[in-house]
Amino acid sequence: MRVASSTLPGNLVQQLHDLGNRQNRLQTQAATGQRVRWAEDDPAAMRRAMEIRSEASANTQYGRNIGGLQGKLGSALDAVQGIQTVINRAGEIVVLADGTKSPEQLQAYAAEIDQLIRHAAQTANTRHGSDYLLGGTRSDRPPFVVAEDAEGRVASVAYQGSPDVAELEIGPGSTVSAQISGANSGTTGRPGLLADARSGADVFAHLISLRQHLLAGDTEAIASTDRAALTTDQDHLLGQLAESGALQARLEVAASAVTSRTTDLRGAYSQEADANFAQTIEELTITQTAYRAALQTGADLLQTSLMDYLR
Amino acid sequence: MSGLLGTLNLGSRALQTQSQGLALAGQNLANVHNPAYTRQRLVIQTESGTGEGLDTGGGVTTVAIQRIHDSIVERQILGETSTSGSWSARQDALRSAQSSLGEVLDGSGTLATGKTGSSLSTELDGLFNEFQNLAASPASIPQRSVLISQAESIAAKLNQADARLDGLEADLNESVVDGIEDANALVASIAQLSGRIFRQESSGAGSANELRDLREQKLQTLAGLTSLEAVEDDTGALNVSIGGRLMVSGGTVIETLAAVDLGGGRQGVATSAGDGLTLTGGSIHGTMEARDGALASLRTGLDSLAGALASGINGIHRTGFDLNGQTGADFFEGTTAGTLQVNPMLVSDPSRIQAAGQAGASGDNTIARAMASLAKEPVAALGGQTFAGSYARTVAGLGQALATANTEVEDQAILHNALQARRASVSGVSIDEEMADIVKYQKAFQASARVVSIVDSMLSEIINLIR
Repeated sequence: MRVASSTLPGNLVQQLHDLGNRQNRLQTQAATGQRVRWAEDDPAAMRRAMEIRSEASANTQYGRNIGGLQGKLGSALDAVQGIQTVINRAGEIVVLADGTKSPEQLQAYAAEIDQLIRHAAQTANTRHGSDYLLGGTRSDRPPFVVAEDAEGRVASVAYQGSPDVAELEIGPGSTVSAQISGANSGTTGRPGLLADARSGADVFAHLISLRQHLLAGDTEAIASTDRAALTTDQDHLLGQLAESGALQARLEVAASAVTSRTTDLRGAYSQEADANFAQTIEELTITQTAYRAALQTGADLLQTSLMDYLR
Repeated sequence: MSGLLGTLNLGSRALQTQSQGLALAGQNLANVHNPAYTRQRLVIQTESGTGEGLDTGGGVTTVAIQRIHDSIVERQILGETSTSGSWSARQDALRSAQSSLGEVLDGSGTLATGKTGSSLSTELDGLFNEFQNLAASPASIPQRSVLISQAESIAAKLNQADARLDGLEADLNESVVDGIEDANALVASIAQLSGRIFRQESSGAGSANELRDLREQKLQTLAGLTSLEAVEDDTGALNVSIGGRLMVSGGTVIETLAAVDLGGGRQGVATSAGDGLTLTGGSIHGTMEARDGALASLRTGLDSLAGALASGINGIHRTGFDLNGQTGADFFEGTTAGTLQVNPMLVSDPSRIQAAGQAGASGDNTIARAMASLAKEPVAALGGQTFAGSYARTVAGLGQALATANTEVEDQAILHNALQARRASVSGVSIDEEMADIVKYQKAFQASARVVSIVDSMLSEIINLIR
């Protein structure tokens, strides 16, 4: 083929342009560590990477949900333990208040029980952030309301919370609740913490009845009814504590699942979007060599023509 | 004596021919880097002598200055220029669309920290995460405000992308109109050049090589804008047709192109008589293809995402209850990417977000949770895909169209280079060849000049005899 004078420089410029482009692409890949940045780089990988990124974002959110639930559950457990202390003390009083005690002593026990009721009500109105923990889904107001009689004693403690609890997602399709309903008089849903129709527990009513019997000096009724009632409450509370403990364990498992899923997703994302360093550097080196060779040979060829030999 | 005088004549003709050869070499060398230039060659032939007695011949004479070209390669170049023009225009348009969308991947390190750049897809993920956060503290006003600003930022991203794509579409329409104007100017100047070529060549002034080069260049520029057919008929007149319609016949413009509104400001191509034209190449065609193809499906994708997002979230939100026990309000307003916005009522009062499944239970998060779980659910309006999945497909669709354009542009460049090399191998100037020619003509000139000087001295001898 006949080679015109414009062919050589034209081709050289085109080759340098192509090599320059390739060097630029590879250098960017080496510098950023990314093979795919824009959709045009690899549309299919871009699509998969975007879906992985979405899943990772949701996964991180599960992690946040679990963290929040763990905080809430911790506060709820503190409250449950506080109430347990009250019940335990009341249990002691039930044992102490037998026929050997003087009426004054029984009066003093009655006053202590009254204080314990108030303390339990206060503990049950614990807040986590702005939410009342034991109000179920009615978390915007104190769940337990203490009403006093004419003598200034606790006449009743009414529950104005909800028997329902709000759940939160901790994994795809898996939900738990850190909310606790203070009382559940129905036969469905989560058991109420302090009063539950199914187990027969009713902490405040039983404490008030105990106090009334103490005031009346009716040690027989204390032994026959209050002791059994308080035992029911204690058992119920223990059951609730065990359930919360199980929930805590479940949250920990879920948290570690989130962590390992994050690692997996990161690996999958890297597979799609990241550059293979060894390969990139190798290609870059080859391209650089070709670029230098093109410059060298091009420079020699461009300078030579018949003119150099004519005088 | 006619012998010596005849030889003198022969010598002077030879000198003239060699000078022409030198001049032509100079012209070729001057245009060595002019890509539109076609090298020219002196066509010489033996001049016959008197034809009486023993005829030694009349020397040499120039019959033509020939333009050396391969018309098959030139037609192929026109065709490939149209194809290149079309793909480059598509590449430009789609690359603009890609940057308008601003969807990029960050390094995998950002995945663990969650600190990814802000794009439509990360905002979309963020929206569903904020619904989760609302489910965690359904009564919290600060949390509600965060959700509102997240929802506003996704609406803003969609509005922004839509406005940018609107602008891009307007630019593309403008470039179609500009392309048509340029093409008409080229059509007119091709006709004019054909007229001048015809006049010059029929007047006997020889071949109009430079005008032909110029016309070939104009044809190539026109081929970059639109597909065309250029055929020279028996009389030497060039007929140029675009989309099957004859535009130029010889020196006459038969028809021109006109922009036509295809509806909604979408510019199309028609003849000046108003008949629709189907182009198969050129940047005008590429621009329209990008606009009506990948760009249109990108916009449809965004619109259906916005529509499905609004109707999906609203459908659930309407059934919920706000902090005051009110129900029935929408979360989003608008149904397209350009019009989507958060219900202004919720913006001014975040307590109106209806997160609870029943009135009077501010801690109830059923509705917030249902809205959050929409993220994972297939949406019928999006072809059974999730919101994120559908958007990823839209982005990948655009990426695929752009990647195809990139490959085509590269392939076309290789093809175009090969054809240009073939053209240059026939029509390109070689400095070496021309230098050799210069030496050749110089030597021949010197030799002929010697003939003239010898004849001159011989004539002097004869004149001196008489004295």
